[in-house]
Amino acid sequence: MNFILAWRNIWRNKVRSLLIMSSVALGLFAGIFVLALYEGMLRARVRTVIDREVAHLQIHHPRFKDDYDPAFLLGDRDSLLQRLSGVPSVRFTAWRSVTQAMLSTATGSAGVQIFGVLPGEENQVSRLGDKVVEGINLDPAKRNALLVGRKLAEKMKLKLGSKVVLTFTDRDQNITAGAFRVTGIYKTDNTPLDELQVYVNHHTLNEYLAIGHGGHEVAIILNSDKEVESAKQVVQGLFPGQKVMTWKENSPETDYMVTSVDQFSYIIIVIIMIALAFGIINTMLMAVLERTHEIGMLTALGMNRPKVFNLILTETILLTVVGVPVGFLVTWLTVGHFSKAGIDISSFSGAAMSGFGFSSMIYPEFPWRSIPVVMAIVACTALVSALFPSLRAIKLQPADALRL
Amino acid sequence: MDTVIDAHDISRIFNPETIPVIAVNHVHLHLERGEFTALVGPSGSGKTTLLNLIGGLDRPDSGSILIDGVDITRLSPNQLINFRLRNIGFVFQSFNLIPVLTAKENVELIMQLQHKNKKEVDERVRSLFEQIGLADKMNERPSKLSGGQQQRVAVARALASKPKFVLADEPTANLDSKSASNLLDIMALLNQEENITFIFSTHDARVIERARRVITLVDGQVHSDTARVETSMQH
Ligand SMILES: Nc1ncnc2c1ncn2[C@@H]1O[C@H](COP(=O)(O)OP(=O)(O)O)[C@@H](O)[C@H]1O
Ligand SMILES: [Mg+2]
Repeated sequence: MNFILAWRNIWRNKVRSLLIMSSVALGLFAGIFVLALYEGMLRARVRTVIDREVAHLQIHHPRFKDDYDPAFLLGDRDSLLQRLSGVPSVRFTAWRSVTQAMLSTATGSAGVQIFGVLPGEENQVSRLGDKVVEGINLDPAKRNALLVGRKLAEKMKLKLGSKVVLTFTDRDQNITAGAFRVTGIYKTDNTPLDELQVYVNHHTLNEYLAIGHGGHEVAIILNSDKEVESAKQVVQGLFPGQKVMTWKENSPETDYMVTSVDQFSYIIIVIIMIALAFGIINTMLMAVLERTHEIGMLTALGMNRPKVFNLILTETILLTVVGVPVGFLVTWLTVGHFSKAGIDISSFSGAAMSGFGFSSMIYPEFPWRSIPVVMAIVACTALVSALFPSLRAIKLQPADALRL
Repeated sequence: MDTVIDAHDISRIFNPETIPVIAVNHVHLHLERGEFTALVGPSGSGKTTLLNLIGGLDRPDSGSILIDGVDITRLSPNQLINFRLRNIGFVFQSFNLIPVLTAKENVELIMQLQHKNKKEVDERVRSLFEQIGLADKMNERPSKLSGGQQQRVAVARALASKPKFVLADEPTANLDSKSASNLLDIMALLNQEENITFIFSTHDARVIERARRVITLVDGQVHSDTARVETSMQH
């Protein structure tokens, strides 16, 4: 009866109740949609980090990353790659030499990171070919070919065919320089990297560095993201003298984002709910005030304080939660639509987004794993909002209330 | 005889600090089981206050009130609510019923508060609605009932809990004379057939006529207390 009474009571003022219910639905829609956007952005970011930037695993000489000294080479390429191909979870591998360099043109210079790569391997491991937006991918036949990022090209005013000089130190600390010609321009969603990283043919870089067939880095793509930790153990076991790092270690900011963005989105939902709580409290206080005589009568007839409290509590909870399924459904449908169509935010914040390595095309994903937390937040809102009106109701003295 | 209400020297003073109003002034009230008593007096004479005191809705500033031997002035607030639920039936002047519940649900609510089982509730509710002559209106919301019908449902609700007595504060104040006399018929019938004790306040002469005992209040004091000859069966 308590439930029936509460349910019918919330419909006594239909407009008022519907207003609160739709506010809750709308608030949830906003909150969950933001969560869905983050979820979509994060998943895309993690995919990009793995598929196009740092792969699942990388192997280096343990001291190589300290200052990119070209002398810290990995062992023999063939035996290393052959042993890796025996690991079942390994799908693709890419062998690279890496060094820091100064890129100079007639008008200026910039610090860059040069990757000496084998285009065939690189297309599989980091999709290098897909990133090329102008000119062509590296061609092993073109010895001094250079692939630069769009951002660097803009900054250094480079075009296809532009000549540049790359200056670096070889393994014996001799300063060497080589002339290269821009044959391709690539673009990714990560502008800072586009500005920093340039690609040349593996053999060319190795000649300048005087390291023969050597390499500094092996990037590994696994069969699935879930195998990262276990594969790391296996690979580290195979090469105890080298250092194996996962994508989380190579891109700690991405890993940090995954964990911190959740909390950030919950804060947004909490803020929305606090705003809604004021509306709910106000509505319920009004309902209690309007029903002073009635509540006083129920108390007079023998409804005790816990039951009166419970009645107002139930009404508040119902008022709050009726809009919840509607909010979820609307969000789910909207997210479902945009997860296929995508949302292009390039017109208002594309540049800012790619500055952080995010695509300007967002494919939101319904954040199922956050729903329990969202429900808990809604439940807390209902309980907290109910407190004040319920306390007001049980304070009514029947003799006074009945005079009204 | 069997004493139901024994109020001894009770007083109730409102606003003692500012402008004191002595609403009930050293009143003694003694009611036996089966009485059908009217509390009369001009507006502001203290009828509602006195009924609230003996109904446990308010506490006297002095004096004691024994209901069936229990001094309700000594009960804690929670005990008092429970005492009202189990021992006292109430009919108020107006807006007696919860508008969102049907007539039947309004009556059932009280029995559910008493944790009566469903079968007992169903049977009692049915027989009560037959007694008040509204068996066909059980499932209507109060807004679909006339004022008189609503008051009859309120009487049924007051009886649902099988109280020691029923308090009715101006139950006919908002009724036309036909409905008023109809309500009194039902109350008188229940009083005679089931020995239900009624005490009701009124200032309607035709209602006063129906009482077997009339207590008159003036300025919070009992002015007169007279037993009357049986008249209620003339109708
Ligand atoms: N809560 C209250 N506060 C102050 N004065 C009150 C209160 N209730 C009743 N009174 C006063 O007590 C007196 C008796 O009132 P009441 O019992 O309602 O009389 P009746 O029911 O006979 O009209 C009146 O003067 C009234 O103004
Ligand atoms: Mg009165």
